[in-house]
Amino acid sequence: MYVKVRVDEKKCVGCKLCIFACPDPNVLTYTENKKVSADENRCKGCGLCVSSCPKGALIIS
Amino acid sequence: MSNRIITPVAEFEDLLPDDYKDLINNGPFFEKKSIEDLGSFKEIIDDHPHCAGCGVALGIRLVAAALPSPEDTLIVGTPGCSFFGLSQTALNYSTTAFGNQNAVASGLKRMLKIRYPERTKDVVVVVGDGGIADIGLDLTLHSWFRGEKISTIMVDNEVYGNTGGQESGMSRQGKVLNMAPNGKLFPKLPIFDMAKISGCVYAARVTVASPAKVGMTVRKAIFLAREVGPTYVQIYTPCPTNLKFPPNQTLNIAKEAEKDYYSYEELMTPEAKDYLENNLK
Ligand SMILES: Cc1ncc(C[n+]2csc(CCOP(=O)(O)OP(=O)(O)O)c2C)c(N)n1
Ligand code: SF4
Ligand code: SF4
Ligand SMILES: [Mg+2]
Repeated sequence: MYVKVRVDEKKCVGCKLCIFACPDPNVLTYTENKKVSADENRCKGCGLCVSSCPKGALIIS
Repeated sequence: MSNRIITPVAEFEDLLPDDYKDLINNGPFFEKKSIEDLGSFKEIIDDHPHCAGCGVALGIRLVAAALPSPEDTLIVGTPGCSFFGLSQTALNYSTTAFGNQNAVASGLKRMLKIRYPERTKDVVVVVGDGGIADIGLDLTLHSWFRGEKISTIMVDNEVYGNTGGQESGMSRQGKVLNMAPNGKLFPKLPIFDMAKISGCVYAARVTVASPAKVGMTVRKAIFLAREVGPTYVQIYTPCPTNLKFPPNQTLNIAKEAEKDYYSYEELMTPEAKDYLENNLK
């Protein structure tokens, strides 16, 4: 099964905690509108970003 | 190893892969970057084959972002999972025969000082717990005894991850691993305590659950190794595959360890303290 992360832009507050939690480089980036966006092609679906997000803005599916 | 070397000449620009161009335009080389800026620049590590949720991979990513001058840094590695990520960085990287990292790094540091007398070159060893605590222990300790001006960073996953789960000197007592079915019979080696009595002017113990501390200790270690003496940073980087926990638990495992046997600790000589006070901001 192929799993990847999705960011709920409405819930994301741009704290960047997920960016410091992801073991894979250049997956999660900080965008101009001060939110996080994910490169789904690079994500390995480990879920560490989800475990670090205080707002529940990340979903693995 | 100068900034000019990584900038493509106009004639070749079209031929280079987009990833490379991205690194030149958005990489960490020309402005001061730090862990806080992660996500806003192209990282020097690109795709790597580490397992999902790998603590070692996160450790390397944080160390790479914390380097004070990546274009003038030489990373020295050795076999172990850490060289998956490290050999796929845009950093100057040299691997060594298993365990020889600190001997090779000592020679490279001395050679670079002769070759580039005007430019500071940071030589940073980044290797696993098995590489330092077991096979490379003698060469590591001797580089510290000799006062070699290099930084040694251990990415400690408490196992030989790369070869499928043998116990390392840094595995915890009683830990059952794929190839230690009866559990390890003796405690984790006190490498952190040995660093302070073996000539390191600075030693720090951190985990990947505290990225800001990883950044701060790595920077201090590299600055101090330029002028004062050998430095050591030990980072707990749990391995979900061999320690057998779900990959989304790596940070929770590290956080729990911080409350217990992997508490944050930083030691330095009075000379190192003076140097940091006078030179770091
Ligand atoms: C001289 C020599 N002996 C053994 C090996 C096989 N070997 C490769 S990696 C490794 C273990 C590495 O463990 P560690 O340093 O903890 O790194 P990790 O893979 O856990 O990150 C071993 C024994 C080798 N490459 N060279
Ligand atoms: S699931 Fe893992 S690999 Fe994917 S973005 Fe989150 S932390 Fe990174
Ligand atoms: S075996 Fe462990 S240390 Fe090696 S890449 Fe996989 S998770 Fe990382
Ligand atoms: Mg190991």
